[in-house]
Amino acid sequence: MSKEKQLNVLLIDDEPERVKALTEALNLLGHNVVCHLPNTTDLNKHVEENLPDIVIIDMDSPNRDTLESMATMSRNNPRPIVFFAEKQNDHKTMSDAINAGVSAYIADGLQPERVTAIIDTAIAHFDAHSSLKAELDNAKNQLADRKFIEKAKGMLMKHQGCDEDQAYQTLRKIAMDRHQTLPVVARNVIEALKGLSGPGN
Amino acid sequence: MSDHLRIEKADLKLGFIALLDCAPLVVAREKGFFWKYGLNVILSKESSWASIRDKVSFGLLDGAHMLAPMPLAATLGLNGNKTPMLTALTLSHNGTAITLSQELYLALVDQIPDWNDADAVGDTFKQLINKRERKPVIATVYPYSNHHYQLRYWLNQHNIDTEEDVQLVAVPPTQMLENLANGMIDGYCVGEPWNSLALMQQKGGLLTTGHKIWGSHMEKVMGVTQRWAEENPNTHRALVTALYEACQWAEEPENRTELMNLLALPPYLDHAAEQLASFTSPYSMEQHFYGNNLNKPDRDHGLFLLDQMSDCGQTDGVSVDKDQLVEDVFRTDLYTSWLS
Repeated sequence: MSKEKQLNVLLIDDEPERVKALTEALNLLGHNVVCHLPNTTDLNKHVEENLPDIVIIDMDSPNRDTLESMATMSRNNPRPIVFFAEKQNDHKTMSDAINAGVSAYIADGLQPERVTAIIDTAIAHFDAHSSLKAELDNAKNQLADRKFIEKAKGMLMKHQGCDEDQAYQTLRKIAMDRHQTLPVVARNVIEALKGLSGPGN
Repeated sequence: MSDHLRIEKADLKLGFIALLDCAPLVVAREKGFFWKYGLNVILSKESSWASIRDKVSFGLLDGAHMLAPMPLAATLGLNGNKTPMLTALTLSHNGTAITLSQELYLALVDQIPDWNDADAVGDTFKQLINKRERKPVIATVYPYSNHHYQLRYWLNQHNIDTEEDVQLVAVPPTQMLENLANGMIDGYCVGEPWNSLALMQQKGGLLTTGHKIWGSHMEKVMGVTQRWAEENPNTHRALVTALYEACQWAEEPENRTELMNLLALPPYLDHAAEQLASFTSPYSMEQHFYGNNLNKPDRDHGLFLLDQMSDCGQTDGVSVDKDQLVEDVFRTDLYTSWLS
């Protein structure tokens, strides 16, 4: 690795613990994490300025569409960012990445072999983090808040016919969309779903 | 549909993006149309079209609310894993528009004598651009979308160069309004409700609609992989039939209030729909879910989309048999045999 040029990795993730762990792991591999952006609004500018070789991004980040647009948006973009799968037809790695909730974009012209180690490291960290995250989130909430979150989760599960994890993800997505905290969203959800039942009624 | 058809898979997970035109999916679930056809459906709110494409490709979703060009792009393997996809049902027509910041819009409105005179509109726009310190930054959401091609089409039509005269960027829909208000962008082309919300909050003015640019056109479709369709033909038929009935329900004017209430539920459009319930836009986006046979996948529009893709270089280096591709992706045959 030492003989090869270190790669610039742009990390887009709003989980601070995971960012820290993954940054350390990528540094150990000899790569450079140029920037880690949580919920960026000027991603276009950051990519232009930092010229990342590879972008690692949470599968559920709305910024994925922004990254995919850059490749086709303008002739002036010096390095089109392409989705990992386009370069490398490794179905297994792709499938692992998607299941772990991580996606990756690489600069056009980069050799796929160099990227695989980075993707594998990211997958491992995203996998390990999902259970940890749920615990941390729970611990952070006060007892009363937790009660509302549990109730909202239960109502969403009943209304949507989904499992606990999906209900929790729905709450988190609403919180991100509204720029509100989880307990506030939970109270609103309880209010909105009150008196509603499942489908077909 | 006859009762004896065996549903191969009754529990389905379908993806949607929080836009007004996800209405048929929400209606099919909340009003019991899926139930009626033996389907138990979870609707999964997704954060990006990229995520919809990947989750459908890799089987994490059975199908999804998709932009009409998406099954074409996925089948060709543009910007992602090459997965043949198809649609047997159009979910909606129209519903996109170009919105400009309040400042740019007001400056433009004063100067334009006749909006039907394309040259005059283009010239005025360019004069305005030249007076500004920076090129107008105009945003779209996703490269394989009507809204992206419409923006380019409108700019080209008015002789405005997409590289020299403006800067095109991409921004997630939920961040459009905020960026328009704080001056990070000067306009956008995107689907509803994001144009109406800008008007309603007086953050922007409507330049034109997708319907005015192209006439009535296929906007969202129910997309699945070709493989899934082959493995689950009866389920696919049930799904399409349920959604078709939901489209009919969603189009009825007397259901409008109930529709907005359903969309305002937290898993769906949430706040955005709540605000819209009391708002009647002064401009019609001509967004429709049913009528004039619009639910039949439109192969002509498919061919037109392939031309748009090729015009902006998206299919460079890819060999495309356009007629075959459109026939494979827009399954008018399934639509006709199931719904007539």
